[in-house]
Amino acid sequence: MTMIRSGLVATWRSVRNTFRLIFRTWSGRIALPIVLLHLVLTFFGPLIAPYSPTAMPESIDQYQNLPPSPQFWLGTDQYGRDVLSRVMCGAGSLIATAGTGALLGIILGAVVGMSSGYKGGRVDEIVMRVMDGLMSFPTLLLALLVLFTLGPSRFNIAATIGFVSMPAIARVVRSTTLSLKNMEFVQSARLRGESTFYIIFRELLPNVLPVLGVEASVRFSYAILSVASLGFLGLGIQPPSPDWGLMISQSRRFLVVAPWVALAPMGAVASLVIGVNLLADGIRQATRMAKEDKHE
Amino acid sequence: MNEKRKNETPLLEVDHLAVTFYTPHGTFNVVRDVSFTIQRGEVLALVGETGCGKSISAFAIVRYLLPFHPGESRVDGTIFFEGKDLIAMPDSELQKLRGNRIAMVYQNPGTSLNPTMRVGLQMEEVLKQHLRVESKQAHQRTVELFDSVGLAEPDRIGQRYPHQLSGGMQQRVMIAMALACDPDLLIMDEPTTGLDVTTEATILDLMVDLKQRVNAGILFVSHNLGTVARVADRVAVMYAGQTVEQGPASAIFKRSKHPYTTGLLQCVPQPPSEDETNTRLRSIPGDTYAPEEVNLQACLFAPRCPMAQEMCHTEAPEILSVGDSHQSRCFFWNNVHKGIWGELEPRDEGIRETAEPVLNANKLQRFFGQWQRKYILFGPRVRPPVRAVTDIGFEVGGGRTLGIVGESGCGKTTVARLVAGLIPRQRGDILLRTEELAPMIEERTDQQRAALRMVFQNPTTSLNPKLPARHTIVRSLQKLARLSRKDSHERAEELARAVRLEPAYLDRRPEALSGGEQQRIVLAAAFAGESDLIIADEAVASLDVSVQAQVIKLLEDHQRESGTSYIFISHDLGVVRYISDDILVLYAGHIAESGPAECVLNIPSHPYTEALLSAVPIPDPDATPTRIRLGGAVPTLRERFQGCFFAGRCPRKIGPICDNTPPPVHIGPGSPDHAIHCHIPVEELIKLQSD
Amino acid sequence: MARFIARRLGLICITLLVVSVVIFVITELLPGDVAAMILGKEATEESLERLREELGLNRPAHERYLSWIGDVLRGDLGDSYALKMPITDIVGRRLRHSVILAAFAFLVGVPAAVAAGIWAGMHPNTKLDRLISMTALVGISVPEFVTGLLLILLFTSTLHLLPSSSIILPGVNPLTSPQILIMPALTVTSVLFAYIMRMTRANVIEVMQADYIRTAILKGLPMKRIILRHLFPNAMLPTITVIASSFGWMLGGIIIVENVFAYPGIGQLLLRSIETHDIPLLEVVTLIIAGTYAISNLLADLSYAALDPRVRLA
Repeated sequence: MTMIRSGLVATWRSVRNTFRLIFRTWSGRIALPIVLLHLVLTFFGPLIAPYSPTAMPESIDQYQNLPPSPQFWLGTDQYGRDVLSRVMCGAGSLIATAGTGALLGIILGAVVGMSSGYKGGRVDEIVMRVMDGLMSFPTLLLALLVLFTLGPSRFNIAATIGFVSMPAIARVVRSTTLSLKNMEFVQSARLRGESTFYIIFRELLPNVLPVLGVEASVRFSYAILSVASLGFLGLGIQPPSPDWGLMISQSRRFLVVAPWVALAPMGAVASLVIGVNLLADGIRQATRMAKEDKHE
Repeated sequence: MNEKRKNETPLLEVDHLAVTFYTPHGTFNVVRDVSFTIQRGEVLALVGETGCGKSISAFAIVRYLLPFHPGESRVDGTIFFEGKDLIAMPDSELQKLRGNRIAMVYQNPGTSLNPTMRVGLQMEEVLKQHLRVESKQAHQRTVELFDSVGLAEPDRIGQRYPHQLSGGMQQRVMIAMALACDPDLLIMDEPTTGLDVTTEATILDLMVDLKQRVNAGILFVSHNLGTVARVADRVAVMYAGQTVEQGPASAIFKRSKHPYTTGLLQCVPQPPSEDETNTRLRSIPGDTYAPEEVNLQACLFAPRCPMAQEMCHTEAPEILSVGDSHQSRCFFWNNVHKGIWGELEPRDEGIRETAEPVLNANKLQRFFGQWQRKYILFGPRVRPPVRAVTDIGFEVGGGRTLGIVGESGCGKTTVARLVAGLIPRQRGDILLRTEELAPMIEERTDQQRAALRMVFQNPTTSLNPKLPARHTIVRSLQKLARLSRKDSHERAEELARAVRLEPAYLDRRPEALSGGEQQRIVLAAAFAGESDLIIADEAVASLDVSVQAQVIKLLEDHQRESGTSYIFISHDLGVVRYISDDILVLYAGHIAESGPAECVLNIPSHPYTEALLSAVPIPDPDATPTRIRLGGAVPTLRERFQGCFFAGRCPRKIGPICDNTPPPVHIGPGSPDHAIHCHIPVEELIKLQSD
Repeated sequence: MARFIARRLGLICITLLVVSVVIFVITELLPGDVAAMILGKEATEESLERLREELGLNRPAHERYLSWIGDVLRGDLGDSYALKMPITDIVGRRLRHSVILAAFAFLVGVPAAVAAGIWAGMHPNTKLDRLISMTALVGISVPEFVTGLLLILLFTSTLHLLPSSSIILPGVNPLTSPQILIMPALTVTSVLFAYIMRMTRANVIEVMQADYIRTAILKGLPMKRIILRHLFPNAMLPTITVIASSFGWMLGGIIIVENVFAYPGIGQLLLRSIETHDIPLLEVVTLIIAGTYAISNLLADLSYAALDPRVRLA
């Protein structure tokens, strides 16, 4: 128990320090409010949205493709639905799906990368060849292929995103593990008879975490891009759920008469990914600063 | 003479130099107050321990401070080169001096050369830039310069890339490049650190030779007092960003007038010589002053000084003249002498004669890699495995210390790892008392693991950077001494006290500890299991001398109290000589010589041992340098030796027999255990080496 | 060097093998019944059986895989199920179109990105660097379909300069009507530029810290020479790998871009085969894209080796 608690306290402390450092970076300061806004939308979007995102008014003709006005801040779409409400409610499913997918990828990648790298030898050789094979697919292509056979459901999308982002994470984690495993503290753990499981999770994991932190933020932004792209191609979250990618895809026919229907979700998805990428840059700078702290 | 020198402008005059870095993490006074002068044709050595600011002072001269710290830096004080102010000089003018009038040689020649450019071109571009010569002339001059620094085949070496050269050759190229434009000032930043001792000796010879040939002033930055004594005319000692003492080399080494210098000199283990080492090493208590502290109203050495008075803590001493061009930054310089650090304690020899060996290793063998074929699975076999360790056997007596010496690539670390079971041996057997040890640590029993512990070279990576320092001690106690959680924490604090650390240190992260403190934590963990044998692989190599002495003394004390045996691996003959009872000299994966320490280090020796001994720099400027030098490099170890493993470089080679017959084992005089693996008969060796 | 090439060639064979197995497993083994997948829910048992017979689905999986991969290796790509014609005939033209797009993006994007990356890396944290870096960050953040639609809004809806769709009729060479190429190419280039620029910048910053750059500076060399002879060759080495891996990004992006502009390339063919559940075609198209990517990585490895004396002369 104490081991777990001291581990948690240490993790919390390092997370808090990292945040402090992130906030000191230029990109971190821009990124945090953007990401925070999207997170608020994720949790409270449906609650604070002025209209229902899916309900269509009875007289569609009257409300179809209305330009932005005080009543509908971002106008209405082809079915007369409020674009603002749809954008606000779309954040949740996108972030949840992409987040779950990225998290899954991180966990899978960390487990595969650490065990394969630590074990080494034949097993490692074979695992890495398979990862190379998987990495020969552009991520989007592999995701399309998997979703094509499994069918697009929210769970399948998240699982697919996890699966396709796993190889790249595994590779990064593996190379970190390889450099760590020859370090003397791992050797001394072996010398005092620690089990492989203990070495991987107690000795290696805390040292892989900073790498995972950077990877997680990068993967999260890729995941958002992938989920949105899949939605755009019609293999993502299915209608009538408000999905940004799908909304953009459907608005193409009215691009000339009602550009706001496209522009609103476009702005939403772009700002979200920009925010996450800035945050990733911030985290990277923060870990570098933390490293420099140590050298002094 | 003195009068004349005063009227002449010195080549380089550094006065009250201070370098401050302003980083996001705070302000660092890395250099606080450094003053020295260099005359033409003179070698000034800037000496000090890690973090004292010596390298940054050197780089400040050429105004290159950017990469040391991110963020802003500020330089105070003055630096005059031939009367011109280097700090105020415009960049364009400075660029004309760099590489031309002021040239540099760096610590890591391997990374200091551009890996994607032929070394000849890297050389020629300096000549073209500063001397405006044609390609043909530049090429010709390059060959001459390569020749002048003793590179073999000077006309062909320019075609090579840096990775095709050995470390010693790379450093020669760097030196040739620095000499390209016949500079007035040569700055050498730790030029031999990281090179093998035999290579270091040849580079130092080259420097001594250069000193006579070129009429340049040389600033030689080093932490190694032995190398300084070999080449320096004058020495400036630095501590915590200040020059604390400055003077002619003989005065500094013989009549030092600063307590730090006297202490430092006594921390160095005496060079291996024929006299028995019967006094204990000295260490300087405490740690170096951290650069972020700004309290300048005191002598910075006062907290560690044995003769500190009240005023030392409240007033900052100025550097004072204490003799003929000899200065010291000490209020009480007049009272400084060798005895201020107390009487040298005699060594307690204790019981060293035990019948039973603790460890017996026999015919150990380990090759790395496999035969490689030209096209992976097909084609002729092109590349044999590396024969890192071939047939090595030894014995470690109870309560005794076996020192293993040799240069990089000799197989000493592989031997340590084979014994510890970190890598499996391919042949041979290891007996711990009477039990056969399994090749891999994972297959050994808990008792065997507890009996055999290991300490590594790098203390920073020996501790998990993300876990508090106590982790490794507590886990060792739980796994090896079978203590409960509560007991292990209590015992850990006792162990910490035993290695002279406050228990509060145990809760720190490794990054908050100095190198010496880290290594003491590692020792505490190694002592945890009540082990029979501790393998120390270069355990003090990365530590500063004052801290190195602390760690060696801890090892000594532990051995006296608990009777633990050690395998002590080191490239530093002085340290090995001090600590070992028996010595094993390795070369290219083979045993060159083995036996009791005093026999191995005395005449007669294996020619390789002789070369090693002769290469060790001695911290005494009056010592006459010995002349035996090894040319060439350590063999690649991919081929089986037809004859003697040392034949390729042996200065005492007697003929074809060395090339085609493996050497016999001769028993040397003095002890039946003294074995010399050489074709030359013992009597012959005695005669050869006595001259 | 010969060893290195041999090793790389061996590895690429293994990788391609893994790729083909992955494709086969995902498309033919995961869904359970391929015939049902192709024909949809309304299919009768008879028609399913007929299709199974036609596609040879009744045979054991490993046999099917071996005969498929054997055919592919002999150059027989099979027939498209939906279009009822040999896949070789369909793929060729589409591939040419995509290659034109990719080549344009590469020729324009890579040099520009490398130049911008080097400049930014040499002058980190200046105003212009912040601007370039921010642009690149936006570039990697904004999805291709957003960039594409914004371009349409600008050039078609507002300026009325370019057609919004890039349909190419059979037999027409797209190079003769460059106006339809501009927007798709710009979209692909923007992502490519952003990605490579960021990586180049990071590499340059890293190389700037190297000891040999210090040596070059303290040799008194002028900045121009330091950049050209010391910085550039060393910073380019890792950048080559980056360029190859960005190729994978671009191939993914091309799928979307071709969809946005209705550009008849390999990406659109892929989406079409997914829509029509044309599994034989899907398998081939996927194999082509993944194979291209794997080979581009091989080329990167080889050029890396050719340029780095440490590998070349090892």
